[in-house]
Amino acid sequence: MKTFKRWATSAATVAGLVASAALPVGAQTVYQVPALSDYSGPFAAIMPMLGPGREGVVNWWNAEHGAKLGVKLELKTYDTRYDTAQTASLWPGVLATKPVIGLSLGGPDTSALQQRLPTDKVPMILGSAATGFGWRPNQWVMATRPTFVHEATGFLEWFQKNKAGGNRPVKVAMFTTEASPTFADLGKGITAYAKANPNTVNLVEMVYVEPQPADVTLQLRRVLNAGAELILVPTNIQQAVAVKRAMQALGKNVPIAYSIQNSPAMLQKLVGSMGAMDGDYEVHAGVIATEEDTEAKKFYDLLVAKYGLKAPWHSITTIGINQALVMVRVVEAAAKKHGGDKLTGEMLYNTLLETTFPAKDFYGFTGGGDIDFSVEAPFPIKDPRVNIGQVVGGKLTTVAKGVPVPKLAKW
Amino acid sequence: MDPSGIFFTSHAGDRSLVRTRAQWVCLLALLLALATLPWWASDRWVSIGYTTFITAVAVIGLQICTGYAGQINLGQSAFMGVGAYGAALAMAAGWDALAGLLIGGAGAALFGVMFGLTAARIKGFYLALTTIAAQALFHFLVLNLPQGWLGGAGGLHVQRTTTLGIALDNDRAIYWFSFVVLVVMTIGAFGIVRSRHGRSFEAVRDDDVAAGMMGIPVAATKARAFLVSAFYAGVAGGLWVVALRHVSVEQFTLFNAIWMIAMMIVGGLGSIVGALVGTVMIQLAREGVTSLGPSFIQWVPAVGQDFVFAAMNVLLGTVIILFLLFEPKGVMHRVEISKQAYRLWPFPY
Repeated sequence: MKTFKRWATSAATVAGLVASAALPVGAQTVYQVPALSDYSGPFAAIMPMLGPGREGVVNWWNAEHGAKLGVKLELKTYDTRYDTAQTASLWPGVLATKPVIGLSLGGPDTSALQQRLPTDKVPMILGSAATGFGWRPNQWVMATRPTFVHEATGFLEWFQKNKAGGNRPVKVAMFTTEASPTFADLGKGITAYAKANPNTVNLVEMVYVEPQPADVTLQLRRVLNAGAELILVPTNIQQAVAVKRAMQALGKNVPIAYSIQNSPAMLQKLVGSMGAMDGDYEVHAGVIATEEDTEAKKFYDLLVAKYGLKAPWHSITTIGINQALVMVRVVEAAAKKHGGDKLTGEMLYNTLLETTFPAKDFYGFTGGGDIDFSVEAPFPIKDPRVNIGQVVGGKLTTVAKGVPVPKLAKW
Repeated sequence: MDPSGIFFTSHAGDRSLVRTRAQWVCLLALLLALATLPWWASDRWVSIGYTTFITAVAVIGLQICTGYAGQINLGQSAFMGVGAYGAALAMAAGWDALAGLLIGGAGAALFGVMFGLTAARIKGFYLALTTIAAQALFHFLVLNLPQGWLGGAGGLHVQRTTTLGIALDNDRAIYWFSFVVLVVMTIGAFGIVRSRHGRSFEAVRDDDVAAGMMGIPVAATKARAFLVSAFYAGVAGGLWVVALRHVSVEQFTLFNAIWMIAMMIVGGLGSIVGALVGTVMIQLAREGVTSLGPSFIQWVPAVGQDFVFAAMNVLLGTVIILFLLFEPKGVMHRVEISKQAYRLWPFPY
């Protein structure tokens, strides 16, 4: 009996030692973060930049903040092909991994999940701009940027004050398409804004063309003859290229304003060079990916140097960084408040709504204002801002940072 | 061809769909397995199940129009969308989901029959182009009608769906509801294709001039094929609303209609079972590559995810191409050949 007791004690001691050696010092609670992506659908071309942007931030945060908070985020990429049906069938499997927060890519994710996320209790962060039709209360897919219309109208007010003297309305024309609900909504929103603000904007024409137009020379000539002094094309690459080529064909140089998804960086090869877009603008509530020595660029360089980011410094890479930064800051705030081992999706959702995330936490990757979500809208509604870039001398430069956007009524 | 020793002594027996005891056993086992799937399979399988059932209802409708009546139809996705909007309006107004499906089906059938009438005068590629117009028209109408009607770009939201007092608010309930609807619609499809109308469809498909000479009203038959097909698509649209509780125009694209045609061709033209088999095969292949991608990246992180996901799509495309090369008549043709060979064995001649 004595021998048995001694043997049992020794065995227990050895087992205890082995177990304690196997445990990491300061164990981290691992949380799954589904990253909905599109590597084989319409956005396959941009994912090789956007995806690594997300990963770089998560790697950085796990090492620099998560380790201290006892939290490790595991990003798992799911290819939805930007298809609502695929997202819908995929999601219950994603739920089985018990995610507490996720990264969304765009419309199909929102469409497939928005009605079930309040029950599933998983908030999602969207890196794209929001839409007017998605402007509904109590949403669980939260965009880091305001609507495309907010972004464009913020720019219009800035342009009117700084480039048109501020004492007369700017004559503007916009190209969009009815084929995409998002871009059709953009057209409606800008039209409504122009109607409500005749002293700021004189909308010469809202030009609806094909999503991939072959030629828009006729339409552009018409709006230029009507005196348009600014052309908005915040839609897609194909429309932006068509408008730029038409401008070149007509021998005019009226400035064109693009958004982030069809930024000059995306267009330069298609229109010849960056220099071909001299005078044109890039407008959105994200970072303008210039070669200037900005805080955002330094953060990007850090991710490249230390955290395995392998995507170029590009507007699309910054979308992934922006989105992931907001996500990790939410986790961080919740972990500080509730403890790293107790996080739930509902807790993170409440943190999103209750916390004001200071702009400095995003290293210039957002529009510039604090990020402050509410139940009223699925995007930061209290202090949305935009950044404005312009191609000058063949180089993209930042011309205005943190420009406030006007308060808009729903259109 | 029936197995050796199986013969019927009544007309009803001769017309029976399930002809042998073994077939009954297999069918019941399959139905039992599918009905109990939510209890023994993971949630992922449940969601794959109901998305497959919903798609299958639409593909069966397409099979009736294209496979049986020979009318090329690229508007099935738009018809599904019309049904979805109809059902969403009904369900948002508090109607039972079953009533919503019928309203959606009826709305889609009305929309579909308009294109069926054009089939009276045109055929082949011209008809295909006309049905593409259904897609454009659906898109245009939804986005341009007053926002209060169909929700414009934002679509319609349904807060709660119930049927016979049962809340359809979880994946299992949606699965069972879709399953029951699929079974009913499949039985209905067999009834249609074996009826006078089904024989008219086949006669028009094989030779519409000869069919007309024999007294079959060709124009009405073509319109009827579109009506039935669109009704099925509308019911599928209604199920879609039950599953997502949100419907918007971008969920129903021409690309979806092309996938449905691929499912029908892979399964086999002119076969209701072929429509089911084709849908299951393509859906499983798509889900397979979607599920395999993330796991593969975790096993071999050195291979970039852009490469893996693109390769998965290429794999899916290759499988479909190989299939069409080696069995262009569809899976059901191969099944029939195998069945006959088995039944004749060991006397293949």
